[in-house]
Amino acid sequence: MAAESMQDIKRRIKSITSTEHITSAMKLVSAGKLRKARAIFEKTNENSHYITHAIEDLFTNSKEIPEKYLEGGNDADGVCYIVITSNKGLCGGFNSNVIKEAEAHIRMNSGRTVIVPIGSRGRDYFAKRGYEIYNEYTAPPEEITSHEARELCAPILDMYEKGEIGSVVLVSTSFVSAMEQRVIVKKMLPFDVESNPEVGTSKFVEYEPSPEAVFNYLVPKYVEMVTYAAVVESATCEHAARRTAMENATDNAREMLADLSLFYNRARQAAITDEIIEIVAGSEAQG
Amino acid sequence: MANTVKLEIVTPEKHFYRGEVELVIARTLNGDEGFMAGHTWGCKLLDIGELWIREPEAEANTYKLAAVGGGFIDIKESIIIFADSIEWKKDIDVDRANREKEAAEDWLRKNEESAPEYEVKRVRNEMKKCEMRLQVAEGGRMAAKH
Repeated sequence: MAAESMQDIKRRIKSITSTEHITSAMKLVSAGKLRKARAIFEKTNENSHYITHAIEDLFTNSKEIPEKYLEGGNDADGVCYIVITSNKGLCGGFNSNVIKEAEAHIRMNSGRTVIVPIGSRGRDYFAKRGYEIYNEYTAPPEEITSHEARELCAPILDMYEKGEIGSVVLVSTSFVSAMEQRVIVKKMLPFDVESNPEVGTSKFVEYEPSPEAVFNYLVPKYVEMVTYAAVVESATCEHAARRTAMENATDNAREMLADLSLFYNRARQAAITDEIIEIVAGSEAQG
Repeated sequence: MANTVKLEIVTPEKHFYRGEVELVIARTLNGDEGFMAGHTWGCKLLDIGELWIREPEAEANTYKLAAVGGGFIDIKESIIIFADSIEWKKDIDVDRANREKEAAEDWLRKNEESAPEYEVKRVRNEMKKCEMRLQVAEGGRMAAKH
């Protein structure tokens, strides 16, 4: 009996050791990818926040924004959700957190729901549950260019202009630190200008060729830039989440290995003791 | 010496330029316009065109020249230009611009009638950008000034 349990434990140790090898290798890989993604993210972040903040500034300081872009200016009740997930799994709660948050918001909305998933995980989830998928982007998120972001956003803005949807909401993950990522929900359209107290203090501003033309150019630009920045940020978060998940898995595997080798040694000792007792008992019987 | 104003130029991908300038001339949709310190606040769309920058320490009548592929300019206490694409004169790849221009012309010859209107417009735009790059590479429309 002892020999059998020793065999079992040995088999388990072997399988857990190979799991540990895989997870620790994946941890190293994602640590490297994280470093790379983070460098891109920091570079883009400074720049794109610069653009989006400047545009937000313009919006909040202007009284000339066409009404269709403002709260209450578009009464369609459809909502378009841009949901940013990853293409690969094994990254802890990264995807499920985003999906959970998106679904909670979708449930509150009674009208038409259109989903633009970025990343195949989100797409598969929502497609399986019968949601209306409008456009999708499932290439690796690290490699997205601003041009691709533009092509992705163009049909959404089209729908908004035509009044098929009344708002555009972005659900993505924001990078706090390598250990912490937070899901954020950002309403991109329409703008909620009322909430900003700075309105009314603005100086005279010249718009050329016309305020309407300027904002018709700026609004799509804004949506593209926010989406582009969010995709880059989400890619960084994905690697950070995977690194953490793999680190935990490696730690757990090591802990299990320590326990198992203790059990193994105990079983081996028990087998030896049994054998000695048998020998002693045998020699006593003879003597 | 004229007063200076802070100018920043950004594209979706990178920070292109940052510095104090005396004068910046950009092509807005209504035509060329020069911006100096104390300009009226404004927000103007830029056409495909040349961008001339005059830095305070530069010698008389020398400008930095770049080709802009559209964007917008935001004039406040400082000036910010958001360009869809922009290249300095010295960074322009003339061969590539020529190649792309030819490819666009080729495409237009073959597909101009059959392709959807927005597609034709896009290719025309690309062609215009290439032409502007070539023009800037040769010193710009006001080459004599350079």
